[in-house]
Parts: sequence; C-alpha cells; structure tokens
Amino acid sequence: MRSALRAVLAAALLMGGVAAHAAGKTHAVRIEGMKFVPERVEVAAGDTIVWTNKDIVPHSVTAAEAKVESGELQTGKSFKLVARKKGEMSYICRLHPVMHGVVVVK
Amino acid sequence: MKALQVAASLVAASVFAVASAQDKGPSDPQIAGIVVAANKIDIDAGKIAKSHSKNKEVQQFAQQMITDHTAVNKQAGALAKKLKVKPAESDTSKALKSAAKDNEANLKKLKGADFDKAYVNHEVDYHQQVLDAIDKVLIPNAKNAELKGLIEKVRPAIATHLEHAKHIQASLK
Repeated sequence: MRSALRAVLAAALLMGGVAAHAAGKTHAVRIEGMKFVPERVEVAAGDTIVWTNKDIVPHSVTAAEAKVESGELQTGKSFKLVARKKGEMSYICRLHPVMHGVVVVK
Repeated sequence: MKALQVAASLVAASVFAVASAQDKGPSDPQIAGIVVAANKIDIDAGKIAKSHSKNKEVQQFAQQMITDHTAVNKQAGALAKKLKVKPAESDTSKALKSAAKDNEANLKKLKGADFDKAYVNHEVDYHQQVLDAIDKVLIPNAKNAELKGLIEKVRPAIATHLEHAKHIQASLK
C-alpha cells in the first residue's frame, strides 16, 4: 500500500515536472526607446522568451554565435525563443548594434 | 572643405532657429509637416550615401537612416490620417528643404573619403539640430497628446543615430 502510494506520488511528481518543463514560464522583453527592457533576463531551460517591438523603428534580436536571428521586427511584432541550453546568450539589435541584451539560462 | 562644413552646420543651425524665433510656436499641422520633411530629408541623404560611398560603415549607417526614418514617417503619416491632421508647410519646413537641397548639391560634388566625411559630418550636425528642435520646439508646442507621444518616441532613435554618427565621424579622422 505504502509502496503503491509512493509510486503514485512519484508518478504525479514526475508528471508535474514534465508538465512544468513542457509549458515552462514565459518571460517578456520589451524593445522600447532603443533598449531591450529588461536588458538581462534569467530563465530556466524550457522557458520561453518573447521580445516585442514597442518602438517606432524596426529592430532585431540577433545572437550570431548562438545562431539566433529574429529578422527585422516591425513595430508591434514579436519574436519567441525557447531557452534550451544552459549558459549565457548575449545578443544585439543587428540594425542598431549599440543595443545589447543577455539571456541567462540556469 | 572645412569652411563648407562650417557653412553647412550654420545653415542647419539657422534652420531650426527659425522655429524658435517665431513669436508663436508651430501648430500641430505644421509640426507634422516638420516631422515628415525632416525624415524625408535624411532618407534622401541616406540614398545618396548608399550610391556614392564605398565605406562599409558609412553604407550601413546610411541604410539604417533609410530604414528608421522610413518607419517613422510611415507611423507619422498613419497618425496624421487618424487625427485628420494635414501636414502643413511652415517657414521651418521650407528652410529645412532648402538647406537639404544645398547639402545634396554639395554631397554630389564629392567622392571617396571627402564624400564620407562631408556626409557623416552633416549627419552629426543634422541629428543634433533635430534633437534640439524636438526638445525646444516640437514637444513643447505639440498640442495633441498622440502627436506629442510620437515625437517623444522618436527622440531615443535620433539620439542613437547621433551617437552612431559621432562614432563614425571619429573613425574617419
């Protein structure tokens, strides 16, 4: 009985874990006033980051090394990325290379 | 050459001084007219730079000017339509256009490094003047909140362009 309960609990935990992993959290980054806001986001592997261009000019989310390229995001457009690998990903706006951001995957 | 650049920046400075010297600030339709003219001027200068310059950094900057100022004008046009504001001419918009004509004529005479320097120097002066005009003339006088909001939204882009142009200016010396 006890072991059966333990198995159910373990299965529930595992499923819960899987479900949480699959859905992940969503982190929003605004692109506004020629900045990524916030400039640094800390996420867990499996989380989704959504960048939305609230600025008046087009921008991009570009991390050449990580092979991430959103293309030109016009005003109001978004770009989604699921964080998979642990570590830091620095990125810029390809159109305005003075704009920097970093995603830390824990 | 140096004298020409000085003359060009004096013209740019005097153009926006027209606006601040007016007894009454510009009306919303006149502000819309100034915004549209100011953007179009920089798009046109960018197109000249793209076809005349061989410097990669200058070419990229010129493309950025074309992309950004086109985006701003698209939104300015959409807002003017929504607000039923018809962009109107003013002494400032006329002076801007006339100064732009002189700058274009000057640029078309130049080649190579001389062209790059003249274009970038003018971009530095122009964006500085536009930034000053935004702070001293356009934002304080805009009556419609959405028009004011649009100009406030444009400001960081102009400030970034100015920094970028200054960075290239330093590398061309």
